[in-house]
Amino acid sequence: MRLMTLRRILCGLALLLPLHATAATLKIATAAPDGTSWMEAFRKGADEIKQRTAGRVEFRFYPGGVMGNDKSVLRKIRIGQLHGGAITGGGLAEIYPDAQIYSLPFIFNSLAEVDYVRTRMDPLLMQGLETQGFVGFGISEGGFAYLMSNQPVEKLDDLKPLKVWVPEGDVISHTAFQSVGIHPVSLPLTDVLTGLQTGLIDTVAASAVGAIALQWHTRVKHLTDTPLIYIYGTLVVSAKAFNQLQPPDQAVVREVFGKVLAQLNLQSRKDEVRAREVLLQQGIGFVPLKQGDGWHDVVDETTRRLTEKQVFSAEMLGVLQKHLGDSRAGAAGR
Amino acid sequence: MVMLLAGCAGMVTQRMGATLSSAILNQDDPETVRAGAPAYLLLIDGLIADDPQDKNMLLAGARLYGAYAAVFVDDRERALRMAKKARDYARRGLCADYPQVCKVESAPYDQFVPSLHEVQVEGLDALYVYGSAWAGRIQADSSDWAAIADLPKVEAVMRRVVAMDPEYDNGRAQLYLAVLNTLVPPSVGGRPEVGRGFFEKAIAVSQGKDLMAKVEFARRYARMVFDRELHDRLLHEVVTTETRVPGLVLSNVLAKQEARKLLATSAEYFME
Repeated sequence: MRLMTLRRILCGLALLLPLHATAATLKIATAAPDGTSWMEAFRKGADEIKQRTAGRVEFRFYPGGVMGNDKSVLRKIRIGQLHGGAITGGGLAEIYPDAQIYSLPFIFNSLAEVDYVRTRMDPLLMQGLETQGFVGFGISEGGFAYLMSNQPVEKLDDLKPLKVWVPEGDVISHTAFQSVGIHPVSLPLTDVLTGLQTGLIDTVAASAVGAIALQWHTRVKHLTDTPLIYIYGTLVVSAKAFNQLQPPDQAVVREVFGKVLAQLNLQSRKDEVRAREVLLQQGIGFVPLKQGDGWHDVVDETTRRLTEKQVFSAEMLGVLQKHLGDSRAGAAGR
Repeated sequence: MVMLLAGCAGMVTQRMGATLSSAILNQDDPETVRAGAPAYLLLIDGLIADDPQDKNMLLAGARLYGAYAAVFVDDRERALRMAKKARDYARRGLCADYPQVCKVESAPYDQFVPSLHEVQVEGLDALYVYGSAWAGRIQADSSDWAAIADLPKVEAVMRRVVAMDPEYDNGRAQLYLAVLNTLVPPSVGGRPEVGRGFFEKAIAVSQGKDLMAKVEFARRYARMVFDRELHDRLLHEVVTTETRVPGLVLSNVLAKQEARKLLATSAEYFME
C-alpha cells in the first residue's frame, strides 16, 4: 500500500515535472533577413539565454518574413503555432492600439524629443502590451521616415500634384495625407521600386536606411528634411508561453532581450546617421520645409481624426503631448 | 620597334595572367590554394608595380585578390583590405579604356548607368571583373551604407554584361544578378522571384556544371522562402554530381563543401 502511494506520488511528480524541467523552445518570427545585425543580435541573445538557463529556454527563429506579415504572425501566435515575433509599431496596434502612438505624423521634431518621451513612455507601452497578453522586451527604433521625391517639396502645395505612395493598409499615413487633401497611391512594399521606375508613384516616405536597402534612393532626387513619422518595432512573446517559464528564467529572458533591443536601438541610430550622409553623397538634395509650409497647421486635424477613428486613445495622446510639452519647455529653458 | 616590343610584352603578361588564374581555378585541393596563392598575389603585385598600365595584369590581379579574399580570408579586416585592392586593380583595368565609366562612378545612379553603354564587347572581360570586384568589396563590409548604396550600380554593370553575353563566364554574371536580387526578403520589400529567374538561367547556362550556382540558389533563395524541398534537392544534386569542368574545378570542390554544411543544418533551419 505504501509502495503504491509512493509510486503514485512519483507518477504524479513525473507528470508535473515536464512543465518545469524540460526545455521550452520559443518560436519567434521576424521580417529581418538572416545575416542582418538584427538576426545576429537575436541569435546571440538566444545563445546567452540557453546557456544561462542551462538549456531550459531555447529560441527558434523564422527570419525574412517567412511566417508572413505582422498580421499573420500575430494570428499564428494566437493559435499557438508561434510564440512571438519582432513586430513594427503599426503591427502592434492590433494587440494594443496605443502601442503605435509614436507613429503619429509630425509628432516629433527631433531625436532629442523622441529620447525624452521614450524614457518616460516606453515602460507604459510595455505595460499596455502585457495587459493584452504580450510580453515586450523594449523598443528599437528604425529612424524617422522622410518624404523623398523627384520634385523638391518645401511646402504642402508642392506635394499636391505628386503621386504619393502609402503602404497598403496603413491607416495613419492614409489619414495624414487625406487630411491635407492628397489622395495617395496604396501599394504593397514589394511594388514600390517598380512603381517608382514606371512613374505610378513619384514620392515615398522612408528612413534613409530603408531607402538605401530597397534601392529607392536611385529613383528619387530630393528629401524633405522634416521628420514625418517615427519608425520603431519591438520583440513580443505571448504571455501564455512566457508564463510557462520558471520565474528566474523569465528574468533572464527579459534581461537579455532587453539588452539586445537597447543595443539594436543604438545601432539603428548610428546606421541612420550614416545612411543620411550617404544619401547626400549619392546626390540627393536635402530640402527644408519652409516656414508656413501649411502642413504643420493640419497636424492637429490629423491627430483629431485619428483619435476619432480610435486609432489610439485620447488619454495616451494626452500623456504624449504633456511629455512633448515638457521636453520643448526644457529645451527652450536651456 | 618599341611598339612591337610593347605588343609582345602585352601578350606575355596576358598569357601569364591567364596561366596564373587557370592554375588556381583548376586546382582540386583548396588547401593548396589557401597556402600557395599568396605567392601568386605577391608576384602579381610586383608585375603591376613594374608596369602599372598593364591591363591584363591588373585584371588578373583583381580576379585573384577578389577570389582569395572572398573564399580564403576569414579575418574581416584583411578580407576588406584585399577586396579593396581587387577593386582598385579592376577599376584601373577597365578605366584605361573606358575612363568615362570611372568618372561618373560616384555620380547619381541615373548618370552612371548610361556610361555603361559605351563599353562594347571588347571591354566585356574588364567590365565583368570591374563588377565582380565591386560586389566583392561590398560583401567584404556589408555594414557600410555607402557600399550598400552602390549595389544598384553593380547590378547595372552585370545587366550590361548579360546584355552583351548572356552566357558569360559559365553564367556567372547571371549568378551575380541572382544573388543581388535575393538580398531582401519580400516581407521588407524584396522580390526574390526575380532572383530565382536568374538562378535558373545561371544553372541552365552552365548545364548544371557550375555547382556554386545551385549552392547559392539553395542558400539564398530556398532558405529565404523556406522551401526545404528545393533546398535539399539542389544540395543533394551538388553533393552527388561528379564534374571536372575546366575553370570550375576549385569552385566545384568548394561548392561541395558548402553544400554538405548547408545540408547538415537543413533540419535545424527548416524545423517547423
